[in-house]
Amino acid sequence: MTCNLNRSEDQRQILDAAASMLDADFDVSRDLAADRDRMAKIAEFGAFSLALDEQSGGAGFTLVEEALLHVQFGRHIISTHSIAAPIAARLAAESELIDLVGDAVAGGVLCGGGGRLIDGANARFALVFAPDRLQLIDIAKTTVVANNPGFGHFVPITDVAFDEDAIVATSDSRHLLDIAALLVSAQLLGIAEATRDLAVSYAGVRRQFGKPIGAFQAIKHHCANMAIGAEMLSAQLDMAAIALRDGRDDATFQVAALRLLAPQVALENARLCIQIHGGMGFSAEADAHRFLKQAHVLRLIGDAAPILDLESPMAPYKPRLGG
Amino acid sequence: MQLDFSPEDEEFRTAARTWLAGNVPQQTSPHEGQAARDYATDWLARCHRDGWAGIAWPADYGGRGLSPERLVIWYEEYVRARAPSVLDCTFVALNHAGPTLIACGTDEQKAFHLPRIVSGRSIWCQGFSEPNSGSDLASLSTSAVIDGDVLVVNGQKIWSSYADIADFQELLIRTDSTSKRHKGLSWVICDMKAPGITVRPIENMAGVCHFAEVFYDDVRIPLSNVVGDLNDGWRVAMTTLGFERKTAAMGLQLDLSVRIEDLIARADAAPGSATAERLGLLRAQAAALRAMTWRTLFREPATVFDGSLVRLRFAELAQHIHRLAMDILGPDALLMSQPTHDYLEAYSETIAGGTAEIQRNIIAERILGLPRE
Repeated sequence: MTCNLNRSEDQRQILDAAASMLDADFDVSRDLAADRDRMAKIAEFGAFSLALDEQSGGAGFTLVEEALLHVQFGRHIISTHSIAAPIAARLAAESELIDLVGDAVAGGVLCGGGGRLIDGANARFALVFAPDRLQLIDIAKTTVVANNPGFGHFVPITDVAFDEDAIVATSDSRHLLDIAALLVSAQLLGIAEATRDLAVSYAGVRRQFGKPIGAFQAIKHHCANMAIGAEMLSAQLDMAAIALRDGRDDATFQVAALRLLAPQVALENARLCIQIHGGMGFSAEADAHRFLKQAHVLRLIGDAAPILDLESPMAPYKPRLGG
Repeated sequence: MQLDFSPEDEEFRTAARTWLAGNVPQQTSPHEGQAARDYATDWLARCHRDGWAGIAWPADYGGRGLSPERLVIWYEEYVRARAPSVLDCTFVALNHAGPTLIACGTDEQKAFHLPRIVSGRSIWCQGFSEPNSGSDLASLSTSAVIDGDVLVVNGQKIWSSYADIADFQELLIRTDSTSKRHKGLSWVICDMKAPGITVRPIENMAGVCHFAEVFYDDVRIPLSNVVGDLNDGWRVAMTTLGFERKTAAMGLQLDLSVRIEDLIARADAAPGSATAERLGLLRAQAAALRAMTWRTLFREPATVFDGSLVRLRFAELAQHIHRLAMDILGPDALLMSQPTHDYLEAYSETIAGGTAEIQRNIIAERILGLPRE
């Protein structure tokens, strides 16, 4: 028994395999509207059942590998379906709706709190994220109130109404809520890393005043800030994922800290990425804006517990001397 | 990836917690002068007596040679028990000069200095910065000529913390007058009681005199006090870069997790209030700084410059936490209480040991690979 935060060989292999699959089929410049048809590729990879035990059709990996995989999803702007599906599968399993586990894994989608359905076209189920519970609802039993153009045509947004009989399963399990918060945060970290890399790469090639703009401190310091933010979030993701996997006492605290920081870092890095790209960053033709919009989508789902309600693992043993 | 502590590590935690509970001083440290030295050396001597000094040093040199697991346990117990700040007048000797001697010193240098440092019998200061060489350290001009087996030093250093109470100084000087920049420098051990040294303490913005200017007027330093090779001082000065992740700086980083708990308790902020929002965010940032600290111990760094990421995050978070403390204090912030003193002192965090701007340049150029200016 010891402490080791290096990636294991097994972890590197599965992440490399995921990266190959995502690089091949999910370039960030792709037509995102067509993603629904491509989701099967991610399901086939086993991404939605990675951490389920092998009896439930999973791959027997753990939450740590699942979280690292979701960082890659964030880097590739994968639909929030990728979060709904593994959470819905767990919810169905927890509710002993065993016959639904497979369906949920194959077809689940996602709903922001209330009735705003995100990316729900052709989906059978939707997952409702409320601060203190998760619900699986049957989309066939909902009524469409409004179809919205969505966030700059980024993802389809539908407002739906439903009553009790649309609810297939409900859970107020803190563990399940924490898992949802962990995966959302992991994708936000992916956005923070991808925008850092995109900005650094552009700053190294774009030339003005006879040199790469990355040679100027004004740009360089933006990039350094992006690196610090991503490193901070990445370290906290490791801490939270391991705590949650191992059932440590501080797991909910670590997830709450992670989930609070994740949207801030992702949005700030996405903002700086747009800024560093200049006019290109403001255009819809470059990819920078896509990361910003996806961060705004992700921040609405998978809330953690309020951090001030929790006990810190670093509580002092007595008051500070001298006040 | 795992964060498991063995039963033996847990026994170590219990032993550390018990010892600290029975030995941490009941009074805070004086801020300056001989009284600050006495407080710090008494505490280090007590730690040394019971085997808790030099915990990251190899056992061969009087340390504990603790594993990374036990280092993090020790410092977390240390800050939770309210033990004295690690950033006192023993810091340079324990965390910079000592490790440099261990890496580059001769047997004689090590045999003389290391036992004195680890037991609190000798205090060191740093002599790197000069009035015209701050961020641009390699431009330094304090120089020495060789006279037989002695270096004769003339020049001036500045921002040398605890120079007024130190016994020795790690002194970086130009020993080849024809050299430029990083070449031709030497790292030497300077006896602060040598004739020709004048120390002028400088009051800082917190009203405390713990740093100083040091003037050298034909100061004679034996050539045997050169650490590493003559004219190879830049390399010697850089050897501690990799060691930094195991220094007491981790105690400062982890202490922020305790300080935010103090603020939460003191503020008693209404849920949803602006103060509660700020407290929650800083609590999360302190938790993440702790995670970064653990990562520096338990993960192979990608570059030797990775420490700049956590160093800078610490500095800026410390300033934010102290600033919130002032807001929570309200009118009492005007009294020179400990939180106000700490707030003012924290302005040095983004200046000392490499400014925030220089750290950002290092991150951008050495970690991200952006072009030099």
